Amino acid sequence: MGTTRMDRRLFLKAAGLTAGAAATLEVGCLSYFKKGRSATADNREVPTTCELCPNKCSAIAVVEAGRVKKLNPNPENPKSRDMLCARGNAAIKQVYDPDRLKQPMIRVGARGEGKWKPVSWDEAFDFAAKKLGEAKSKYGPESTLWSSTEGFQEVFFKNLGLAFGSPNLVRHPTLCLASVNLAYSATFGTVPSFDLLNSKYVIMSGANRFESIITPDTMDLIGGVMERKAKLVYLDPRFTVTASKADEWYPIKPGTDLAFILAMIHVIIAENRHSKEFVSAYTVGFEQLAEHVKPYTPEWAEKETEIPGKDITRIAREFADAGARALYYAGRRSSWYQNDFQMRRAQAILNAIVGNWDQMGGMVPNAKLPKGEFLFMPWDEPKAPRVDEIEKHFPLAAKGDGVYLKLRENVLSGKPYPIKAWMVYKQDPLNAMPDQSKTLKMIEQMDFIGVIDVQMSDLAWYADVVFPESAYLERTDPVEVMPGIWPAVVFRQQVVKPIHDTKPNLEIVQGLAKRLGLGDYFDYTIEQWVEAEFKDLPIPMAAEHMKKHGVWAASGQPSYGKTLNPDHRFVTKTGKVELFSERLQEAGYDPLPVYAAPKQPRSDQFRLVLGRVGYFTHANQSNNVWLHEFMKENDLWINPKPAARLGIQNGATVSVTSSVGSVKLKARVTEEIRPDCVFMLHGFGKKSKMQSLVYNVGASDAAVLETAWDQVSGNAAFHETFVKVATA
Amino acid sequence: MRNSLLLLAAITVITAPLAAEGGSDTKGKFFFKKTCKSCHTAGSAAKEITPLSKTQAQWKAYFAAGKHKKGAEKLDTLLKPEQVKDVQTFLVNHASDSPQPETCGG
Repeated sequence: MGTTRMDRRLFLKAAGLTAGAAATLEVGCLSYFKKGRSATADNREVPTTCELCPNKCSAIAVVEAGRVKKLNPNPENPKSRDMLCARGNAAIKQVYDPDRLKQPMIRVGARGEGKWKPVSWDEAFDFAAKKLGEAKSKYGPESTLWSSTEGFQEVFFKNLGLAFGSPNLVRHPTLCLASVNLAYSATFGTVPSFDLLNSKYVIMSGANRFESIITPDTMDLIGGVMERKAKLVYLDPRFTVTASKADEWYPIKPGTDLAFILAMIHVIIAENRHSKEFVSAYTVGFEQLAEHVKPYTPEWAEKETEIPGKDITRIAREFADAGARALYYAGRRSSWYQNDFQMRRAQAILNAIVGNWDQMGGMVPNAKLPKGEFLFMPWDEPKAPRVDEIEKHFPLAAKGDGVYLKLRENVLSGKPYPIKAWMVYKQDPLNAMPDQSKTLKMIEQMDFIGVIDVQMSDLAWYADVVFPESAYLERTDPVEVMPGIWPAVVFRQQVVKPIHDTKPNLEIVQGLAKRLGLGDYFDYTIEQWVEAEFKDLPIPMAAEHMKKHGVWAASGQPSYGKTLNPDHRFVTKTGKVELFSERLQEAGYDPLPVYAAPKQPRSDQFRLVLGRVGYFTHANQSNNVWLHEFMKENDLWINPKPAARLGIQNGATVSVTSSVGSVKLKARVTEEIRPDCVFMLHGFGKKSKMQSLVYNVGASDAAVLETAWDQVSGNAAFHETFVKVATA
Repeated sequence: MRNSLLLLAAITVITAPLAAEGGSDTKGKFFFKKTCKSCHTAGSAAKEITPLSKTQAQWKAYFAAGKHKKGAEKLDTLLKPEQVKDVQTFLVNHASDSPQPETCGG
């Protein structure tokens, strides 16, 4: 069952996405605090920081009778724009979720059978330490794999893996945004923010930002596009909520965005519409670029993209005319195609040549704030090379993140060496990675799996021991600087004491470290850690301020153009913005983006495209009882023409089959998708019976997605799977 | 400040024959922050230093040429030779022209 348009609009309202919130960006709205907050022994208001998505919005928890009664937005944080989305509000239900993990448990049945024995923390720690120790003595410390997703306490988990001696930390970016991060880093030496609030012309492809996740960028789109009437050109094979808000929507042929961008660059250079001043002062490689894009004409691109060449030409002209206040928006998640890095590189280059760097309404390098650091005792570097062979296959990728899908291939092959133990923090690889059957095989060959999580994820369901982490409202975390156009520092502090037998991740790590003989490396408390971080904050009485307000942001207006001086050195090989990249060339990659037409599905196949909806975005929130009310099941979008050909009625159950798996779910027959694609929402069809609302409900995209990755960044390519659809 | 100057001067002397490779990035960050940054921070009398202050070649040349106090002071009272190697590794690895793809959190 899908959601309706009206539902979406209501959701936006419920999420507090008012136009005024985006337009009013006053920092330091102290009136709230001047009024004071009531506090009795059991009734309090506690400023903290949301953890339900990576956005880290500031919230104020209202506690009554010792329970979290409500979560309000904190107006002092300019990044969260005085809003808390529906997902943020539903964090209360993470605490009081009857399905959540309530005590440590050790598996007693077969993996995935769901038979568990509640144990003490000592038993859980002893068991895991014994298993990790066995793997270390048999195969070396490198035989242990440490998987995690970003979060304020992730640092402790990663440090445990490193101190244990394993080089094999693997994080979420290659299942998310590694290609965009690497492309912008390769071009500008950093990943900038996009000043959507002040832009005049926005092009968006590979992102659905009115719908898929609610962030400040979403708010700024509303402010910039809806209120200020900036133009939004949107490319997507589906008619999404973003498409409905756009000035122009083009149902582009999937996987051809790079052709569209190269043709835009062609027009802008051929018509001499680029920013001569910026290009000459701050970039290298313009001559090579001009020569490179000559064949990429709008007429050529029309054949690839199915977007009329005259429109490409017009859009290129309009984009160049908007110049400093034009943006080709990079989006957030970027794991779609095997050429994703080069597509993002082309976006970066297009942005560069119109001179939008460090300009109001353009791309702005993130300002940062100083923060202290707790200096813990350092350990010896792991001696073994990484099992994913990142240096050999992805020499420019972020080494600390690893490359997830290549890693899985190597784990399954046992080469270059075996991986026998898997520790997982705050991540569900069974849903996050494509080709679930391969992940299940990976699980089978592990001698030990330990999971730290708030809830019984699908991966936890297959683990040997689960360590229940306290929900974010139950714990204090490290301080976090949020770089951006308007930088802020945020603090997450304990709102209520844990209501079950759970621990914050640091204490779980310390329990394991002590038994692994690594206790000295973690000999500190969270209070000592955050006090050290408070020290260098540019605030008088920093600790007191952060505990009272939960956030601090620099006052005044954002400043633009700080890097626009001849002495500025970009963090690139040449010190300039690299349109042509010698570093890419040296690594064996195309130094300028080269287009190759993507493979297309046969006439009896469809390209499976994925998406998210802001109610939960990630798979880990679809079991939240409040959010579940918005959407209870996913469905398969299919165009009426192929649906009629296949005899598929709206609402009928269909099978979706790829080369790696098959799922069943209901069909939504709709004109809002191209005939050569079908679409499925992420986060359903769970295997864990302790995800009771979505257990075996709808379908998991991971079950049918095939393994493919971007060649430069190693980012998973989730839109490279062709499926057959039939009535079930 | 004096300690930091001593540190960098001694690094110069001790690491001249050493390559940047082979040290520990993790330990280098620790010793850099604990010792060098005790003086070389923003707003302090000593000039702020970060790994981005120089390119890889400049860091290597810096350690080799002994520009800090012209190598007049010894480091061995502050850091052991392997710790100096760690600091050099950290600075070179994170220099202004080193590949540093950004990540998400972490």
